[in-house]
Amino acid sequence: MAYPFVFLFFGAIMCSAWFGGFIAGSLAVVMSSAAIDYFFVPPFYSMTIGREFRSYVAAFVICAIAITAVSSARKKSETAVKVARDQLEIRVEERTAELQRSNSEILARERQLRELTEAIPQQIWRTDRRGCIEYFNRNLSDYLGREVRDLGDEAFWSILHPEDAPLFAQAWEAARANGTSFEVKSRVRGSEDSYRWFLIRGNPQIGAGEEIVCWYGVHIDIEEQQHTQQALLISQENLSRLSRTMSMAEMAASIAHELNQPLTALVADSHACRRWLNSEPVNMQRAIATTERIVRECTRASAVVSRVRSLFTRSEYVREPTDLNRLIRDLVRLMRDDAIRRNVSIRLSLAENLPRLELDPVQIQQVLLNLATNGMDAMEGSNCARDLEISSEMSAADEVTVTVKDTGTGFEEENKAKVFEPFFSTKPAGTGMGLSICRSIIEAHQGRIWAENLPRGAAFHFTLGSNT
Amino acid sequence: MTDRVDSDIEIPQTVFIVDDDPAICESLCDLIESAGLPTRKFSSAEEFLEICTPDLAGCLVLDVRLPGMNGMELQNKLVRSGLATPIIIMTAHGDIPMVRNAMKAGAVEFLTKPFQDEELLSAIEHSFALDRSQRSARRLERSIQKRWSTLSERERQVLEYVTAGMLNKQIADRLNLSLITVKLYRRQVMDKMEADSLAELVKMWEKIKSPENSRLSAP
Repeated sequence: MAYPFVFLFFGAIMCSAWFGGFIAGSLAVVMSSAAIDYFFVPPFYSMTIGREFRSYVAAFVICAIAITAVSSARKKSETAVKVARDQLEIRVEERTAELQRSNSEILARERQLRELTEAIPQQIWRTDRRGCIEYFNRNLSDYLGREVRDLGDEAFWSILHPEDAPLFAQAWEAARANGTSFEVKSRVRGSEDSYRWFLIRGNPQIGAGEEIVCWYGVHIDIEEQQHTQQALLISQENLSRLSRTMSMAEMAASIAHELNQPLTALVADSHACRRWLNSEPVNMQRAIATTERIVRECTRASAVVSRVRSLFTRSEYVREPTDLNRLIRDLVRLMRDDAIRRNVSIRLSLAENLPRLELDPVQIQQVLLNLATNGMDAMEGSNCARDLEISSEMSAADEVTVTVKDTGTGFEEENKAKVFEPFFSTKPAGTGMGLSICRSIIEAHQGRIWAENLPRGAAFHFTLGSNT
Repeated sequence: MTDRVDSDIEIPQTVFIVDDDPAICESLCDLIESAGLPTRKFSSAEEFLEICTPDLAGCLVLDVRLPGMNGMELQNKLVRSGLATPIIIMTAHGDIPMVRNAMKAGAVEFLTKPFQDEELLSAIEHSFALDRSQRSARRLERSIQKRWSTLSERERQVLEYVTAGMLNKQIADRLNLSLITVKLYRRQVMDKMEADSLAELVKMWEKIKSPENSRLSAP
């Protein structure tokens, strides 16, 4: 009863289900079942099924349905996999293109940024987090005349002026310790061994974990600005010197005028009064009127005198505990620009642990300023090294001595006593008041002040008691 | 002749004081009045210029240091406008260049404050005399000019030749006139010019000639 043809039907059903899907498969099952029933199951050529063949037909139908289900499911899943794979491929392609695009964008942006850093007129550098130079822009390497690789960590210091290097190092250390930005004015040596003034500004780049990733620095050329500033300072100084001398002369003229006016009236009045009294007959009325004016003018003259006196009376008495060394350091900071301009190097040699002194800080600073300025003036035009040394020391148990030493022209030995006298000056534009003011301030502090001629230059000493 | 003109119009001379310090103004007025002279006081140059006329009689006592226009500027202004009133300059500090400039510009005296009464009064006396003679000279000049303007063209020609020292005969020759006519003109010129002698006429002619010359050469 095994008709091998029946298996051919299975093949057809499988193919229908595979290519046509579940519905086509089902159709094939129905048609093949009908065909088998009609042609191959007795009674032949009838749709009826013999009792003994019913199980056979049922088995065929079940097998056919199973084949259809399996085949169509298999086909479906295979199609799904294919679709998924295609979609995946498309996505991958898309992402690749996107990535390439953004990559080229980043490259372009980086190039722009680099061009920008090369184009800006300032000089830019970057260091790693420890401070080793990693990058210069072209401007900086052109100025220095060398490339990053030629400039190790040590060599970096050599591009700064030796006088400014300590200041820079100090600021740089502090900035690295605290992770803060810094700003320093310094001279930087160019390729031709000449120095120019730069404003050096450094900023840390902070990473996500609050740690410093690298340092960015910019050098701004302030040479012109510095020149202008110095020219301004010079003219200011000239102006103040001029105004100082002018004001002395002018004050004298103005006092003379102020006094002269009432005096002129007084002299005229006195003469007039005498004439009225000498006249024939005596004109008492006019004489009395004139005398009254004389009294008025005398009062006016004396008011002028007291006004002048109040102009010159000293301001009130101040004594406060002061750190003398700090006063000196403050002054040196004030004078730094002036000293650089005049090519003077200032050295400090200050004794530690000085007691705090009772003094008028403004007046003592005035003394220090006068002495230091005098020292610098004395070195003006000198070709030797211009050193100004300010030192402080305990010269006795209760006495501090401050010395201001210069390497200038010194003074004539016979003028040694005269230098502190008012209106004595060897400077062409000097008023002769500076040292005289110094002496009166120091004496008001119960101290002493004296001058000393050195083999080269002069030294001025003054003492201040620790219990004054 | 001069006396006659002078006595005619003698107006009282005044001391004009310009100083911004009212006390000094008052004291100087008092002192000058004690010498019997009239005064007027002004506190600025501008205030003085308001009353200033060409016929000012007297002198100016001027302080150098004034608010607004200072003393030297006022002096220069007066000199430029042809006002010849004598000026006494006062200053608190007499510096040499200032004294020199003031004197060059025609200051009579330069007083440094404070000064003695005699210095001021003698300066004023000197200034008054100068003012008097200057004004009388000006007046005389004016009256001669006036007389000159009454002469006819012919008379002026005759006057010119006579003062040039020509004889009547020569003049007659030059002007193509008879000797009698020339003598007649000459008589008329002497009368109209109120000249008593030839010498006086020559003097007058000098006075007429010089301002005329200066007027011609001025522009």
